Amino acid sequence: MDVRAQMSMVFHLDKCIGCHTCSIACKNIWTDRKGTDYMWWNNVETKPGTGYPTAWEDQDKYHGGWECEDGNLRLRSTSKTQTVFNIFHNPHQPSMDDYYEPWTYDYQHLFNAPEGPDQPTAVPISMVTGDLIQIKAGPNWDDDLGGSPVYAENDPNLAQLNPDQRAQMFAVERLMFFYLPRICNHCLNPGCVAACPSGALHKRGEDGIVLVDQKRCRGWRACIAACPYKKMYYNWQTGKSEKCILCFPRLETGQAPACFHSCVGRIRYLGVVLYDAERIREVAGLPQDELIEAQRSLILDPHDPAIARAAQQNGIHDAVVESARNSPTYRFVKDWKIALPLHAEHRTLPMLFYVPPMAPVMAQKNGSAVENVSDDLFHDIDEARAPIEYMAAMFGAGHAGKVRYALRKQKAVRWYRRALTVGDVNMATAERMLREADCSPAEAEAIYKLTSLCTFEERFVIPPMHREQAIEMLADPMAHKQGVGFGFIEGPRRGL
Amino acid sequence: MNIKRRLHRIGPVFPIAIILAAASMALQAQDAVDFFRENCTSCHTIGGGRLTGPDLKNVTQRKDRAWLVQFLQSPQAMIDKGDGYALKLKQEARDVVMPTINGMSLARAELLLSMIETESKLPKSQFVGLQISDRPFTEQDVELGKALFMGHKKLANGGPPCVTCHTFNGAEGFGGGRLGPDLSKAYERLQGRKAMGAWLYAPATPTMNPTFKKAALKADEEILPLLALFESTARAGGEDDRTGMAGFFAAGFVVAVLCLGLFAVIWKARFRGVRDTLVELSARKVLGGRS
Repeated sequence: MDVRAQMSMVFHLDKCIGCHTCSIACKNIWTDRKGTDYMWWNNVETKPGTGYPTAWEDQDKYHGGWECEDGNLRLRSTSKTQTVFNIFHNPHQPSMDDYYEPWTYDYQHLFNAPEGPDQPTAVPISMVTGDLIQIKAGPNWDDDLGGSPVYAENDPNLAQLNPDQRAQMFAVERLMFFYLPRICNHCLNPGCVAACPSGALHKRGEDGIVLVDQKRCRGWRACIAACPYKKMYYNWQTGKSEKCILCFPRLETGQAPACFHSCVGRIRYLGVVLYDAERIREVAGLPQDELIEAQRSLILDPHDPAIARAAQQNGIHDAVVESARNSPTYRFVKDWKIALPLHAEHRTLPMLFYVPPMAPVMAQKNGSAVENVSDDLFHDIDEARAPIEYMAAMFGAGHAGKVRYALRKQKAVRWYRRALTVGDVNMATAERMLREADCSPAEAEAIYKLTSLCTFEERFVIPPMHREQAIEMLADPMAHKQGVGFGFIEGPRRGL
Repeated sequence: MNIKRRLHRIGPVFPIAIILAAASMALQAQDAVDFFRENCTSCHTIGGGRLTGPDLKNVTQRKDRAWLVQFLQSPQAMIDKGDGYALKLKQEARDVVMPTINGMSLARAELLLSMIETESKLPKSQFVGLQISDRPFTEQDVELGKALFMGHKKLANGGPPCVTCHTFNGAEGFGGGRLGPDLSKAYERLQGRKAMGAWLYAPATPTMNPTFKKAALKADEEILPLLALFESTARAGGEDDRTGMAGFFAAGFVVAVLCLGLFAVIWKARFRGVRDTLVELSARKVLGGRS
């Protein structure tokens, strides 16, 4: 066993209101520089929709992630030989049009415009060329099903539905959508790291955050094609790739990442989990329907003294193990099993988990009254406006079982709380639902608390980062003792 | 006693000094010989008769040393000054003026003259010039010359074939290089067999000299056939006026277009933008449905 620690996230999609506050918080801190203006390390997509960059889930086009043949894992986008041939031109990357051409407005025109018959307007100018442009797309162009015939209907996840289901999803009275906020998944088996010809990408030893070394990056862009989530971005100003850094400078000072901190719907949870790095290769090569369960099994129980000991032997500080015991991620993913990885079929073992959203059920009309309550308790999970196959394409690696389980448990908790507080449903029914959903009343209480009444400290359990220990994995801190202080990272430029 | 002791003390110094002096003189003499071979032999012989420039045998007796040293260092200046003898030389050389030789210092000029003086006294100087046979050129010579020119037959000392930089009227394919002059009429320009042969033996231009300094052409095996070739082309008249380059570029253009077309076919399914296609397809669907 090779126990390691990973900062792992849960996004509770049932709570997301699609306000984009997270995106703005991130943009203001990290990507408002020239060259990064088109990047959204955090973005919020409307589903069904093609997202950002357009149709990023369509790996027939973008060739992201891993594929597995006879237990052999290989990247879809490249290989050691192919890297040589594609070193100067990496195909299968989103074009600027697929991201969108970033723009600002010529605000001065509002003041300088010559007098005319109409109000002056601030015309859009490209932030890349500085020319006047006609805006054709933006990072959330299909927000709230905007432009549905183009975007929502081309959602790659709809491919698994039959034509009837597809037609029904877009029938006016059945219309539904939900929001999918996305950041880098900080995968356990990251495609980007594997694809980099320069070895510029690495997974931080102490917390598993995937980072780009800006000095070693040569801008080959192999990572951009290899990431199935298209969360690698090329900075056209510096000629280097950049990505979400999970705000590690904030984490190191005990603060939640900006997008987590600013989340209005409080949908985001962050905590450290312990996992077994030795089994990553084995798990990533399993058949698709076993992937989700196997990934879950990678995450180790921090309450187990044997695992705590193994962690300690591997240089993980006791405080980190203690933090893992309070991790909300562990509870959502392992204890309750209601948080699922997004597109696990790409075998990168993403460490961002989503609690799938409860789509509204179809209402029934009895005479003039609209009836929302069905006696067939769980059946209406399958009767929800979003077909379960659609959810399964995103959160179940194509298999509905895990998604159904998560939705049923959520529904049971709702009914249980409704029986308790509103009282319009029978407690006996609610308890039967809990039993059938593999949930005890105590667990239901815990889920309810962490979902609805969670405090800041419960949502973000950030371990002390112990940088002073982490650095020992890469360098000897005493190497420059009795030299120039504790040494310079770069030589001083002064005097001679 | 005293003297003997002193001699004893300085004993080894004397012979060493003598050896060093002799060695340096020998070195200087060798330098003059090399310098003459590289820079002078294309126009001059010593006792081999006139080429472009006069035979230098006994030149030191024809004119005084001071004048010669001055002339060697700057021939053009002497002519510009209106020196009578210099003008006469120019007339004899059919208006070809001796170039100012790079590295012709005062000391070197003196050394050269001493060397010429010594060589003149020999019954046969090493600089009598190129001794190629006087036999008339044959068809085989011309053919061999062509093969040598075009590089089909390698030059024995490893020099680059003429075609690299030169062309002539009748060269194969797209003709030769255009870097150097067209050699169709070189046989006339360089005044015939003997002078051109000497020129080929020790080319004196800034590009030819360094190239052939260490890869001299062989007299009968290489220079003779080449001369035969140039003699025949000069007799035929005309220069290489083919539009070889235009044809070459036209062919290159066609091949490039064909290659691009081939690439377009091979990588027909290559990845192009996603969003544009989506918008276009949807628009087609909507418009198609309406009409």
